[in-house]
Parts: sequence; structure tokens; C-alpha cells
Amino acid sequence: MSYYLLLIPLFPLLGFLINGLLLGKLNKKIVSIVACGAVGLSFLWGLKLFFNLLALPADSRIIEEIAFTWIPSGEFNVNVGFLFDPLSAVMVLVVSGVGFLIHLYSIGYMHDDSGYGRYFTYLNLFIFSMLTLVLANNYLLMFVGWEGVGLCSYLLIGFWFEKQTAADAGKKAFIVNRIGDFGFLLGLFIIFWSTGSLNFITVFDKAPQVFAMGAGLITAATLLLFLGATGKSAQIPLYVWLPDAMEGPTPVSALIHAATMVTAGVYMIARSHVLFLMAPTTLMVVAIVGVATALFAATIALTQNDIKRVLAYSTISQLGYMFVACGVAAFSAGIFHLMTHAFFKALLFLGAGSVIHSLSGQQDMRFMGGLKRHMPTTFWTFLVATLAIAGIPGLSGFFSKDEILWKSFSSDYGSIWIWAIGLFTAMLTAFYMFRLLFLTFYGGERMDHHAKEHLHESPKIMTVPLTILGVLAIVGGYIGIPHILGGGNNFEKFLEPVMGNVQHGGEEAMVMASSGQNGGTELMLMGISVVLILASIYLAYVLYVKNIALAGKIRQSLSGLHKILYGKYYVDELYGAVIIRPLIGLSLFLWKIVDVILIDGLLNGLATIIGDISKIMRPVQSGLLRRYTTVFLLGVVLILGYFVFR
Amino acid sequence: MIMLQYLALAAILFAIGVFGVLTRRNAVGILMSLELMFNAANINFVTFNKFIAPGGLTGQIFAAFVIVIAAAEAVVGLAIVLLLYRNWKGINVDRINIMKW
Amino acid sequence: MPGIKIELLIPEMFLFAWALFLFLYDLGAKRKNSQSLGYLAMFGVAVTAVLLSLFHGGMVFGTMFQSDQLALFFKVIFLGAAFMAVGASFDIASEKIHNHRGEYYGLILLSTVGMMFLSSASELLMLYIGLELTTIPLYVLVAYFKDDRLSVESGMKYLIVGAFSSAILLYGLSILYGLTGTTDIVLMKINLSLVFLANGKIGPGLILAIVMVIAGIGFKLALVPFHMWAPDVYQGAPTPITGFLSVGSKAAGVVAFARIFVNGLIGFATDVMAPLDWGIIVAVLASAAMILGNITALRQKNIKRMLAYSSIAQIGYLMIGMVAATDRGISAVSYYMFIYLFANMGAFTIATIFNDKTGSDGIISYAGLSKSSPGFAACMTVFLLSLAGIPPLGGFVAKYLVFASGIQAGYTWLVILALLTAVVSLYYYANVIKMMYFSSESPSYKIKPPIPAQIVLFIGVAGVVIFGLFPQPILNLAAEAAKVFAF
Repeated sequence: MSYYLLLIPLFPLLGFLINGLLLGKLNKKIVSIVACGAVGLSFLWGLKLFFNLLALPADSRIIEEIAFTWIPSGEFNVNVGFLFDPLSAVMVLVVSGVGFLIHLYSIGYMHDDSGYGRYFTYLNLFIFSMLTLVLANNYLLMFVGWEGVGLCSYLLIGFWFEKQTAADAGKKAFIVNRIGDFGFLLGLFIIFWSTGSLNFITVFDKAPQVFAMGAGLITAATLLLFLGATGKSAQIPLYVWLPDAMEGPTPVSALIHAATMVTAGVYMIARSHVLFLMAPTTLMVVAIVGVATALFAATIALTQNDIKRVLAYSTISQLGYMFVACGVAAFSAGIFHLMTHAFFKALLFLGAGSVIHSLSGQQDMRFMGGLKRHMPTTFWTFLVATLAIAGIPGLSGFFSKDEILWKSFSSDYGSIWIWAIGLFTAMLTAFYMFRLLFLTFYGGERMDHHAKEHLHESPKIMTVPLTILGVLAIVGGYIGIPHILGGGNNFEKFLEPVMGNVQHGGEEAMVMASSGQNGGTELMLMGISVVLILASIYLAYVLYVKNIALAGKIRQSLSGLHKILYGKYYVDELYGAVIIRPLIGLSLFLWKIVDVILIDGLLNGLATIIGDISKIMRPVQSGLLRRYTTVFLLGVVLILGYFVFR
Repeated sequence: MIMLQYLALAAILFAIGVFGVLTRRNAVGILMSLELMFNAANINFVTFNKFIAPGGLTGQIFAAFVIVIAAAEAVVGLAIVLLLYRNWKGINVDRINIMKW
Repeated sequence: MPGIKIELLIPEMFLFAWALFLFLYDLGAKRKNSQSLGYLAMFGVAVTAVLLSLFHGGMVFGTMFQSDQLALFFKVIFLGAAFMAVGASFDIASEKIHNHRGEYYGLILLSTVGMMFLSSASELLMLYIGLELTTIPLYVLVAYFKDDRLSVESGMKYLIVGAFSSAILLYGLSILYGLTGTTDIVLMKINLSLVFLANGKIGPGLILAIVMVIAGIGFKLALVPFHMWAPDVYQGAPTPITGFLSVGSKAAGVVAFARIFVNGLIGFATDVMAPLDWGIIVAVLASAAMILGNITALRQKNIKRMLAYSSIAQIGYLMIGMVAATDRGISAVSYYMFIYLFANMGAFTIATIFNDKTGSDGIISYAGLSKSSPGFAACMTVFLLSLAGIPPLGGFVAKYLVFASGIQAGYTWLVILALLTAVVSLYYYANVIKMMYFSSESPSYKIKPPIPAQIVLFIGVAGVVIFGLFPQPILNLAAEAAKVFAF
């Protein structure tokens, strides 16, 4: 029986073709109906297939369909084929579902934009590429989607190319991603070379025979794959493009740079978990890079004033969590967080977009404030998302983040250090997210008079997606409630046919958890994290609502040491001096020195060096005919010399 | 041994031709040096025909074709030299370097 | 005589006659009607393709003229390049060439005849004549704008470097003849093996010959360090001719290289005669081409010069398949060349039309093109992305196959280098796309290509997209072509 998997990516492709070929000839209404309809149909078809999948027994929940042979090369063909199993089912639903909501939202957000048709064309192309990526049954087709989403991301970041920064940011994203792609491709070649195939099922079947556990080859291959993932998913050191990518329209940031594309790296690693499990070294690198990125980006987010940049660094940080999960071999937890993160981060971006929309393009939080009264729907949904990302019990982010923290503590691949840094990052996350919330929605209205008059809640077409995402951000976690809290961890169970029981001896841990031996620890850790998170929220409240001047003071005190001595500290201020001040200092340091100068500079420097080499080569090409013939002869002589003097 | 003498002649001729192409500034001079190189190869062909493969005529036929080709090349070459003269009022190849880098 | 299938020469003879017909037609035709010549030339090429499909498979003149699958495959490429070059030339012919339009088109066809002979040559004399018949009309075509200094300068440079390389090649061929006493490539291989078996070694003459032949064909391929002429000639020549040079002439070089080295001197790439491993030398040259081509292209401001350096790099990628010297490698090379035809001819056609409209070749002039002529800019984007190797376009499949064959043959370092330089290459391709799409400039002109050029662009885009998505039929043919060399 055929399930017509092909239909899922086909709908957005048709939408892309219709809108692209008739660009400028259709009115906005038809454009939006075609674009949203295409993604909506994909979602519905995905949903239908999802239920088909559920109807199958757990062990045989795998549908593979081959559309046609793409590159025939000897006995190892590369097919255009699709694989629908629990993992890709989750991804398809997230991509098309969240994608559909963001399409709807975009109708309102982009309504007055002159590039309306172009925007939806790109967006459909993106959804098509992303669905190809997650549905592919082999690495090469996955790579096609991988490049496709990169291209769309490039086009959409530079969408408002009238701004030079936007055009530059687009190019930066493209080039940084290529560095990652280089690694990815090289990894693919090693896999192809060793197993003779790129088909997932074949590769994973053959992997144990051709690779020795922990051997150099498999480690190299997985590290190269991971390099690809760091590019696409904005991890150290290739994360630099993501903050700049915020130059694109906000719904794009929500869709591509928060919910879907940037998680492709996590998906790829989860998909290749069989390979990664054979390379413990790589897993360690993944975990370390992940946790370092999580901490690093969260620290930078503390002091950013641009509302979208805070969210961008937050995304990098949350992606770090997902890599931590992968690194400790808790792939299901990573995908779980990927899903909940898609809900609440998309919501955060869309909420920020709603705010920016209402303030006519203002993105600086220093010129916001008091919006709670003016935009109630945006505020409430934003609050939900903030609570979710902060990890307040009862919301989706809590379950997924806690799952990761617990696994990073308990897994064989984990360590208490990863857990501790992860926990600390969670505190930072709560702090900067509430800082953002308070600065935007509470306090005095700091925007100028003109902007104040125009404050308005966004139209229905924008608030409805916000509300739906808000609901998802709350309930999205309930499918994965851990055993310890009386849940069945259905999500992990659902993914089990794909992931296998890899998590630190699965069954055993489960038994231990329910019998309460380990359960006590798990509950205790959970409690610690909740308490610490609440504390940092309180701190943000103190600093940014109760005593706004204080935050400013602390910042100022950095400019000169003598001011600290002058200060008359309250308890809060002491708190601030001991904990917040160094943190903020660190944040500024990381951002201004490490981020902007070191890593960004390094990448730019690379470009400059290549440019310089090209300058050195110029004099040879002097335009003089006789020099050309001389070089020609020199070439002959050199080659001759090689043969003679070898 | 006689063959080696022919071959040496060809090699010397070839070297002179190469030297001429590399050093002459006059475009016609370069074309003449190129002719030397072609003819050096021709001597080789004829020599090898005589000493290595005396049964056939391939080498001589080859040489005959090369003479025709070299003539054609010279014709086109001289035509372009003429254009050179029209556009630059001279045929010094060092002066034609508008395009570089 | 029995066994001689002279009818196999019909396509070549027809095209040759058609070129002469164009010369004569131009004498009689009314000057006003400049279009008809172009259509006639396109028609001639199309008819030749039909004839080719009818008459192929076999040998003529003993073994001199091989009408095998390899020749067939590349002849299609040559004809495609000629077709597209003619199609792109209509505006140039009516505006810039006032006399001798018939010669312009006729010479393109003559050069194509040369390439067709070259691709069929399994014998040194035929090979050399084919090579020269390819090149001499191109000398004229490159310098066709008689009053344009750039064109004349590039013609001069092309001629002198070309004749120089041709003389070196000829000298190398004469040594090969001297060593083996034959000009038949297969016999040559056998004789060399016999000499080797008898003496246990091969004299220094062979080294000299191999190096000289590499240099001579390296000129055609614009392989570093024999590439110096390419940027200047590409820039100065009439743009359709540049495209023709970069595809047709290059493909001719590829097939000649394959015939001599992979077929004739293959023994030297294996352990039997390891001291004369031409593979490593070509691998080094290919890597030099990739590095130099890509890095120098970064700084180019002229689109034709940029594409010149890009094509130097592309040939570097392509040679990976050649040094692999396996049937997979050769079929990958053939497929690569086939896709390259569409992408590169397409890009040069864009450059031609753009120049006809604006008189500029500067990359900066492309700013905002997507706003005034969206379809036109979209075509260029497709071509550039294919050249950059972005999936699922043909360029990606081609690179994939070539790289895979390289890895299979053990040239892993070469493939890694290729991947690295491909990362760099994206920068300058993307730069043009960025100019066209992400620029606040709004050009006042609107580009509407003439009908033949539209056909060419359509063929180009269709080729890159369709044969990228469904490469199977082409790959089957390419595999057939590679079977010519019994590996």
C-alpha cells in the first residue's frame, strides 16, 4: 500500500511554483491562499500519515517510499526516496504545523510590504526544502534539503536588501553555512566510502560491520557531520551568522531561525544516532560544544538591548541544550526539546514581531515598556512562552529542559559538570527572558510620543496564531511527562522504534526511576532547578521592575571602579554586586570581545587572507604576452623536472 | 647514429624557436620563431619515418599536413598582426596589455 | 572497399558543407536580413545532430576515425555549444558585425567540425588535425571585432600562446611516433608495453613526450600553469565566442586528453610502469587550477573574467575524474562536461545579452537586475548555482560523481581540496546573485532577449534542472561512452 509520502513536500513545491511563476500577476489574497493552503495541506497530509503510523504496531512504524532513482552509480544508487518513521513524523508535524501558523501570521505582518508575493514564494520554497530534509531516506537527499533551506534562509535574511546590513547578513549566513556544509559533505563521503551507500537504513545496518567502535574513521565521519550541524544549528564556532540573521522579517526569524531550520543539525544527529553512538569521542565533543554554546550565548543575551537579538542568542543557547541531549545520547530528549522549543520560541518571535509591528519597527527594548496594557493578547501569550522557556513547572519547556538536565546528569555519557553548567544556563535563561518581558511589557512607556499614539494590538490574523502557539507551549510538554511525575513519557516511547533503547540502559533506568532509588535524585535535581530558576526570576523582577535604577547603576559602575565604592548598597545591591555585576561584565566581554572581535573577526580575517592571496597572484597575470609564454614553458620545465629529479 | 644527428638538428631548431617566441617583441618575429618550432617537429617526423618505421609513410604524411597547418596558422597570425598594426600603430607585443589581472 | 563505412562521416561532411554554404550565402544575401544567417546556422547544427543520430558506431579509414559512443557523446556537446553560441549571437551579429556575418557563423561551424574530428580521432595525425581545425577558426573569431582593441589583443594572445602550445604538442607527438613507430594510439600502447617488457624501462624520451603532450592539451583545457591566456581571451573575445571557447574547445581538450592518456598511456598510471605516473602530475595541476582559479576569481570585477577564472577552477574539478582513470571517472567527466555545457553557455549567453543592452561587463552593473528583468536574473541565478554545485541542479550531481570517483580511486586529498575550494567559489558566484537580488538600485532598462537567445536560455535552464533531477538517461550514455576504454 502506498502512503503517498511524496505529497507532503509536493504541496509547498506547487505553492512555490504557482506563486513564483506568476510573481506580480496575482493579488495578495490569492498569493496568501495558495501559500498558506499549500502548507496547510502538507500539515493535514502529515497528520493523516501520522495516524496511519500510529495504527501500525510499534516495531513496524517505518514507511519508506522511493519516488525515483536520482543518481545511478553502479550498484549504489541514490534515490529520491522518503522515510516516514516516528522521528520524521514529529519533524514533519512541527515544520508544517508551526510553518502553517507562521504563514498565517505573515499575512498580517507583511501586509503592506511591496515584496509580498516574493516573500511567500521564498517561504513556500523553504517549507518544501525543510520537508525534504526531514523526510529524506538518504543523506544526499537530506543534503539537498539542507542546501535548499540554506538558500532560502539567505534569500529571506536579505529580504529587505535596501538595508545594507540585511544584504551583508544574508551573505554571511550563506558563507558560514558553507563551511559547515563542507564538513557535512566530507562526512558523507567517508560514510559512502565505507558503507557503499547513503541510504539511512542501509548505512545504519552496515555501520556495525564496517566501523570499529570508537575507531578513528567513524569518529572523523561523525565529527565532520557535527561540523555541518554546528553551521546549520549555530553552535560554536559557526554561530556568528544567527544574530545577524535577525535582519530578516520577524516571521522568518520565527520560522527559520528559531523553530525549524536551525534545528536541522539536531535532527541530523538524532537521525544518525547509530553512527554517533559508535563514536564516544564525538559524543563528548557534541556535549561539550553544546553546553559551552548554551552558556556562552545565554551570557551574551543578558545585556542585549535589541529584542530580536536577545531571542537570537536565546535560540543559540537552547540549541546548545539540544546538542547536550544528543551528546549524552539522550536523542529523544533532544528531539523533545526541539519540539517544545519550536512552539515557545516561535511564539516569542511572533510576539516580538507583534510588538515591533505595533511600534512601527522599533526593536530596542530601551524604547519600549508598559505594553501590557496596550497589547493584552500579545502580552499573555508572550508571558506563557517566557514561562515555558524559563522552565516553570507545568509548561512544555519545563518537561523537556528537565529531561535534558536529568539525562545529562544520569546518562553514562553525562557528567555532573554538564548538568551544573546546564542548570546555571537555565538560571541565566530565566533571568534574561524575564528581563526582556519586564522591559517590554512593564514599567513606564519609554517610546517617543509619536509611537505611543500608534500603539495597538495586532490584527486577528496575527493574534490567532499566537494563541494557538500559546496553547501548544503549555500542553506540548504533556506528551513527555517523565515517569517520576506519574507520566508515561509517551514521547520517548513513540520515538523508541527509531532511537532504540539507547539511553543509559533504558529499561533498567526506568525500573530504577519507578522504584524510587534514582527517583529521589531526579526529584531533588528537579526541585533544585525550579528553586534556582524562581530565584533568578525574582532577581530580574527586582532589577527591572521594582528597582529599575539599580540595573542602570550596576551597569554604570562598570565604567569606573570608584563608583562602586560610592554606592550605598541594599541587600539587593549586594546581590547585584556579587552575582549580577560580574555576570553582566562577562556578558559584555563575551559579546564585544569574543563574539564580535574574536570569532567574527576570525571568519572575516579568513576572507581577508584569501583576498590577499589573490592580490599576491595578480602580478603574474601581467597582461604581457611574453610572460604568458614564459610561464607556459616554465610549467613544462617544472613538470619535466619533477619526472627527472624524482 | 645518423638519426641522432637529425634529431639533434631538430632539437636545436626547436630550442631556437622557443627562445625566439620568448624573447622577440616583434609579433612577426614571434610568428617566424613558431614556424621554426613546427619545422623542428617536422624534421623529427621525417627522421623517425626513415629510421624507425621505414615501412610506412605516416611520418611523411604527418609532416605534409603539418606544413599545411602551419601555413594556415601563419596566415591567420599575419592577419591578426595586421589588425594589431591598425589598432596600435605598431607590432610590439609588449604594448598590448590592456587586459591584465 | 568492404568494411569502410564512409557514411559515418556524413555528419561532419554536412556541417563542413553547411559552413561553406553560409560563406556563399552571405555573398548573395541582402544585407538587411541579418537574422536569416543565424537561423540557417542553427538549422545546420540541428540537422547535423539528426544526421549524427542516424550515422554512428563504427570506424572509417582503418582505425583513424572512431565513431564510438565517447565521440558521439562529446559531439552532442560540441553541437550543443555551437547551437547555443549561434543563438546567443543574433544581436551581436546585427549590431556589431557589419560585414562578414556569414564567415562569423561559418567559422563557428568549421570549428565544430574540427572538434567532431578530434573527438573521433584514435590516431595522432587525425587528432592533431582536428585540434588545429578547432583552433584556427577560433583565432579568427576571437579577434573578430577588428576595431576593438580588446578583441584584437585577445586574438593575438590566443594565437601566439595557442600556436606555441600546438608546436610543443606536435614535438611531443613526434617523439611518441619515434618511440613507437606508429601513430595509432592503441598500437602505440602495445608497442610501448613491448619495449618496456624487453628493456625493463622506458627511455627519457617518453617522459619528454608525455610532458609536452600534457602541456599542449593543457592549453586547450586552460589547466594551470597553461591557463594564462584564458582570462584575457575570455574577456576580449565576443562573448558568445567566449562561451563557445569555454565549453566546446574545452570539451575537445577533454576528449583528446582521454584518448591519449586514458586510452593510450593508461599503463603508466598503474603499477606496471609506475615511474611514469602522469596521474599524480595531472592531480597536482588540477589542484593548482582549483586553488588559483577560485581564489583569483574572488577579486574579479568583470563578469567574463570572473567566469574565465571560474572555468579554470571547473576544469580542475573535472580533471579529478580524469586522474581517477576508471570507467566511473570517465563517465563522471562526460556527465560533468554535459552539464557544464548548459550552465556555462547559459551564463555567457546572459553576459552577451546584458552587454548588448547595457554595453557593460562589470559585475557591478548587474545591480538590481532582478527588479527590472526578474526572469533573466532568475536564469542567471540557476546557472551560477549550478556552477557552484548547489543541489539539486546538474552541477551538484556532476561534482558529486566526479568527487566520488576520485575518492574511489584513492585521491582523497584531492577531493578534500576540491570541497574546500568549492566553499570559496561560492563567494564569488553568490556575489553576482547578491548584486542582482539584494541591491537597492533600480535599473531603468528592461532586458528582453531576442527569441533565439530566449531559446538558448530555456535550453540552458531546462538542461541544468532536468538533467540535475533526472540524470539517469545522460548517465547511462556517459557510462556507455566510458566503456570505449576497456578498463
